[in-house]
Amino acid sequence: MEHRLRRSWLLTPASSPEKLAAAIKSAADVAVLDLVEFVVERCKPAAREHMSAAVRVVEAAGKEAYAQVDAQLLYADLHASVWPGLAGVVISRAETTEQIKEADQVLTHLEAERGLLPGTVRIVVACETARGNHAAYELATASRRVWGLTLGRADLIMDLRPEPSTEIHMMQYLMQRLITIAGAVGATPLGAWWRAPDRGLLATPDNTLQAARRGRAIGFRGALCVREDQVSSLNQGFTPSPDEEHAATRLLAAYDTATIAGNAVLRQDDRLFDRGTARCARSLLDLAAACKPPLAMSS
Amino acid sequence: MTLLIRRSNLLVPATDAAALHEAWRSNADAITLDLEDGVAPARKAEARALVRPALAQAKPGRTEVFVRVNKPLLHADLAASVWGGLHGIMLAQAESAQDVLQADAALGELERERGISIGSIQIIVLIESPRAVWDIRSIISASARVTQAGLDESDLAASMRINPLPEYDPFIYARGRLVVEATAAGVLPVGMAYPLGLQASLMPAEELNRMANNARNSGMKGVVCPHASWVEPVNRAFTPTDELVAYNRRVRELFAAGVAAGTAAVPLDGRMIDVPVDEWAKVVIATAEACAVRDEEKRRAMGA
Amino acid sequence: MPIVTQRFVDNAWRRNCDFITLDLEDSVPRHLKAHARSLVKDAIPNVAKGGADVSVRINHDTALADLNGAVWPGLLKIRYPKAESAEEIRAIDDVITRLERERGIRPGTIEIGTGIETAAGVAHAYEIASASPRIKEFGGGNGYDMSCNLGMEMFVGFDQFIYTKGEVELTARTLNMAPVRTVPFVINRTGNVKDGDRALREAVGALKCGFRGSGGGLNPAVVESHNKGYTPSEDDRADARWVLEQFRKLDGTHESWLEIDGRVIDRYEAALARETLAWAAQCAARDEEKAAAVARAKSILAATTKIESAPPTGDSKKSK
Repeated sequence: MEHRLRRSWLLTPASSPEKLAAAIKSAADVAVLDLVEFVVERCKPAAREHMSAAVRVVEAAGKEAYAQVDAQLLYADLHASVWPGLAGVVISRAETTEQIKEADQVLTHLEAERGLLPGTVRIVVACETARGNHAAYELATASRRVWGLTLGRADLIMDLRPEPSTEIHMMQYLMQRLITIAGAVGATPLGAWWRAPDRGLLATPDNTLQAARRGRAIGFRGALCVREDQVSSLNQGFTPSPDEEHAATRLLAAYDTATIAGNAVLRQDDRLFDRGTARCARSLLDLAAACKPPLAMSS
Repeated sequence: MTLLIRRSNLLVPATDAAALHEAWRSNADAITLDLEDGVAPARKAEARALVRPALAQAKPGRTEVFVRVNKPLLHADLAASVWGGLHGIMLAQAESAQDVLQADAALGELERERGISIGSIQIIVLIESPRAVWDIRSIISASARVTQAGLDESDLAASMRINPLPEYDPFIYARGRLVVEATAAGVLPVGMAYPLGLQASLMPAEELNRMANNARNSGMKGVVCPHASWVEPVNRAFTPTDELVAYNRRVRELFAAGVAAGTAAVPLDGRMIDVPVDEWAKVVIATAEACAVRDEEKRRAMGA
Repeated sequence: MPIVTQRFVDNAWRRNCDFITLDLEDSVPRHLKAHARSLVKDAIPNVAKGGADVSVRINHDTALADLNGAVWPGLLKIRYPKAESAEEIRAIDDVITRLERERGIRPGTIEIGTGIETAAGVAHAYEIASASPRIKEFGGGNGYDMSCNLGMEMFVGFDQFIYTKGEVELTARTLNMAPVRTVPFVINRTGNVKDGDRALREAVGALKCGFRGSGGGLNPAVVESHNKGYTPSEDDRADARWVLEQFRKLDGTHESWLEIDGRVIDRYEAALARETLAWAAQCAARDEEKAAAVARAKSILAATTKIESAPPTGDSKKSK
């Protein structure tokens, strides 16, 4: 069981040392060094050159370093990115199991060549196209390295625009489908429930907080974002609130009392609680505990 | 084709004598004696021993009787349950076709051993994990015994380790998949509208009725009720009202007249009555008739 | 439109529709089905006079007989309702292929439009959509037949079709087909099919959402709403030109996006703007094409009327 939290994933263009400097100062759990979405074509070679230094900088700042690589340019992007300290890669616009298998092989090769522990670099599959979403289950099971699934910037890449209700078209369906698949294969679903006018993982801090809360309520466990001012909103939104924690504690106490008395269904006021609700409360408390800052070590 | 009418299925812990007493007096189409989540682990054996006497209390024709069994205790639970008067089992935590096949085989053996008509004991499957949501087609179609399928939403939430909020339904996909796959396979999907299916509450009958109507309009064919007070509003929601039946009879008459006059599109209050509307009217009327037959059967059983 | 109602068929070309579907299915009473089939061959050129593309909707249960009556030169598409399996589609494809050969139609040109309208259809959406190269657009997962099949009432005030529409649209997009939008974005609580205002709001919403055309209307009253709603407005076009102007400012910089008053301008926004302008141009071209066709049809009609009313008998009213 691993306890590392990955609530906020800040995308930062690998081509910009200034933006990287800002990113590592943020409270992001993960810094995602991007080679795909925010790097213009002619800056790609320079961005790839920066990667090994960038990975070291992120590591030194105590964050996890991920690289966002292009499913169509796997070989070049992975060669640029896999250096000691890299925790994983986000494969943007993944569509076929061949791509995931190729990534797996290249990672295995580079881990050996560059002195990383074998099998340690993880894969997050970004299903950002219709084909990628259609094949999400197959992609998620194509390699043992697949740790997470996300819709990434599917709203832009699939050209999903807001409906009059401010929901992004198809998003409720795509989000819940991906969360179901992630649950089925034991992967972690990453994302937030964005609504118009939010676009492409970009939103105001307040909208980001709401999107994270909604996202956590339906099964996401952390999300990607674009700007430093979204990071603390994600951390907060993916952490149970004190009120939730309090309610869960009380419910569990009452439920345990009822169980000891021989009843498996607890009635409180007009509400009935069963074993499922109790299990939900317990997992909320586990998550809340994991989100607490570690106790200061006495020297 | 006969329509299976099982609007309300009242779930009662087998160990709760008072609730069971109330259940027999309710107007539920079915009662499910719970050996699973409704029974504390220490009382499982006691609960099992209560099933056979409870079955003997059921009035034939009044309510169908089911037993919800524990997957890890499948054989003991089934051995305690498969007796005359049992209509079927509710299989919780159905994860795969294998789980259903196992229950199917065990039921077959018990039916043979105990002189019960082979294949007569039905299965209601409950889906409780994302894995099962994804694989739902193979689960539902694993056995001809499966007549209904539902989500156990609180256990599904628990297995996803989520804490849903009442305003944001996390099971739109799961419920949609259940409704589509069950309907395609000729199995009845059952469940209550969100968030009541996740977090059961006691509330005024009118509110429960509204929620049950929403469930029906999401494609559900009945509700597993956690409390006797749900039964009446649920039955009402799944029984077409007299007005609705009258309206649809009018639709059918107008449409038939239109067809006789050479058109298959007849205007009625700004709506267009055409084949799909007429087809829907047929469904409403057939459902109303089947409900009336079931209700009459229940009345007679009460009188007997 | 019901093909058996002569008056509808004769006036269809005046309605300014982009496409017209001659219906052999739900709008035709059972005892008139055979008669209806016999009308298609002549009705196709008749309704096409106004420049509309012509489809024929056939019956699920009598597909083969209907195809024999429907596949004639001038037909763009066969609409096959309630598709439930890939085998059905392959059987229809085979018959169309044979009829194209026998009736001098260029092989492979007649499209198949399928509607997913049942639970079984949703469950097999991907196999159905990939069963024939004639399927160029794919839609469904909602509407009367779908709700009837699932046993639910329509117009209830919440979206009952998120899963079914999602399955169908993901399929369409995965196979690079145009998703067809017939979904009410503006919840219809009445079922009224003539409500032009609602149709317009819905069409505007659908266009904003990226859709390019409706799945069709049931009443001539909604045609203009659909045309107007699915055509970018002058404001839309001006905005698109502004976006492209801003986007050009990124040329030669290292930045992939910029923000103006909280609005992001990037390659996605630019692509959208280009698309809006291209679609507006397409709409304008289509309108011109239809106007020309209508003018042609009117002048032919005027000439015929003159000839018919030419004899000096004075009963010109009869020719009306």
